[in-house]
Amino acid sequence: MELRLVRTGVILGSLVALTATGCATATKAQMIGTGDPVADRQRLMKNVGANWADIQAKVKAGAPETVAVNAEALSLHAQRIPTLFPAGSLTDKSKAKPDIWQKWPEFEAAAKNLENRAATLRDQAAAKDGAAVTATVANFGREACGTCHTPFRVPPPQQQPAQPRS
Amino acid sequence: MGVLTRPNWRHAVPLLLFLLSLPAVAVAQAPSAAELARGKYVFGATGGCGCHTVPKQPANAGGRRYDGPFGTVYSSNITPDKETGIGNWTDEQIITATRLGRRPNGERLIPVHPYTTFNGMAADDLKALVAFLRSVPPVKRQNQPKKITVPMFESVFLPAWLAAFAPRETAPTSVPTTGVARGEYLVRAVGHCGECHTPRTMTMATDNSRFLAGNPKGPEDSEVPNITPDKTTGLQWSEEEIADYLGSGNKPDGDVAGGLMGEVIEGTLSGYKDLTKADRLAIAKYLKTLPPIKNKIGK
Repeated sequence: MELRLVRTGVILGSLVALTATGCATATKAQMIGTGDPVADRQRLMKNVGANWADIQAKVKAGAPETVAVNAEALSLHAQRIPTLFPAGSLTDKSKAKPDIWQKWPEFEAAAKNLENRAATLRDQAAAKDGAAVTATVANFGREACGTCHTPFRVPPPQQQPAQPRS
Repeated sequence: MGVLTRPNWRHAVPLLLFLLSLPAVAVAQAPSAAELARGKYVFGATGGCGCHTVPKQPANAGGRRYDGPFGTVYSSNITPDKETGIGNWTDEQIITATRLGRRPNGERLIPVHPYTTFNGMAADDLKALVAFLRSVPPVKRQNQPKKITVPMFESVFLPAWLAAFAPRETAPTSVPTTGVARGEYLVRAVGHCGECHTPRTMTMATDNSRFLAGNPKGPEDSEVPNITPDKTTGLQWSEEEIADYLGSGNKPDGDVAGGLMGEVIEGTLSGYKDLTKADRLAIAKYLKTLPPIKNKIGK
């Protein structure tokens, strides 16, 4: 009787352990990226930029209520920003300033600010409130992106023309 | 006496109403309010005199560190605090420091403060700027002494450099109000764009033969873009895009300004973002008239 209980316990324990390991592995396998944080965050930021350009183009074209999907993408991307800046991830290709790690709580707060403002923009667009979207978009660059770019990024040396739009 | 002891209230009521209405009338018509607004606007057009503010600290209180080949300097407290700021300086003394780089005691400012450029600011704009500086809350913050490492820098090198090498802007007799002339004034003098965007010669003077052609060794180790209209290495944005950028920080490719450019767009109490659309377009129009200069910045 006792032996059976022990055996059941062992089996159950193993199952729990296996499930836990499986979940952990699965979580890791689900991470999208190359494993190179600099390449990954630059790719993420390109996508942030593309969505932001799209939002501005839509507002200019008189369709502010259609930006919800872009704003949602920005908000989700923002959640990933802190995970893509592990300590010491600075290479020649990176434009990140070392201040990021010296002022980590400020950096995290800046990413959270982008996440929250993008979520607000998404909700305004989802509610078809064009006037609110337009008002938010007017200051979004400076207040959601610039507040992080100004203290934490070395500016690029050449200004790029607009991306060709599909 | 009788009149004083028995006042005629029927006449006093309109008088009282008139007196009550005075403050509102005074505020609307006083030249000082318009002057202050103009001063704040000029302050914004300089990028918020941002060198005098440590980010996230009280505006204009100074203390920001600048390293140069001659040593280290810290920006001055330009709040109207009487002990540590410029509260005891006369208007003329503040203008002399801004344009000519001389303190009230005759001592020269280190030209990290771009006085050779601000020399191109019109007298009316400077007067308004001073009025605005005086209206900002005073902050008690002692100036940090400079550390000059080059021997005889201030007594010999600096005066010689100023006389021989430093290009000096000249002030217009009246402030240009529209078009390319307005843009030129804002870019060359008030906005002091060349301080970062123009490459420097061996002597560290701005090389104005390559005005705004980008600086691979800009402040804070940044590579500052070429903003002449060169087709391969310069600024290719439309006038509208340049004006939008100065007002919002948004670049046409979806990127957003950061670093020192982000700072001057945002400003402190005001910045480039507060310029009117007409002024931002005037700046863009002027940039388009610059001779295109091939100068690739960055890899």
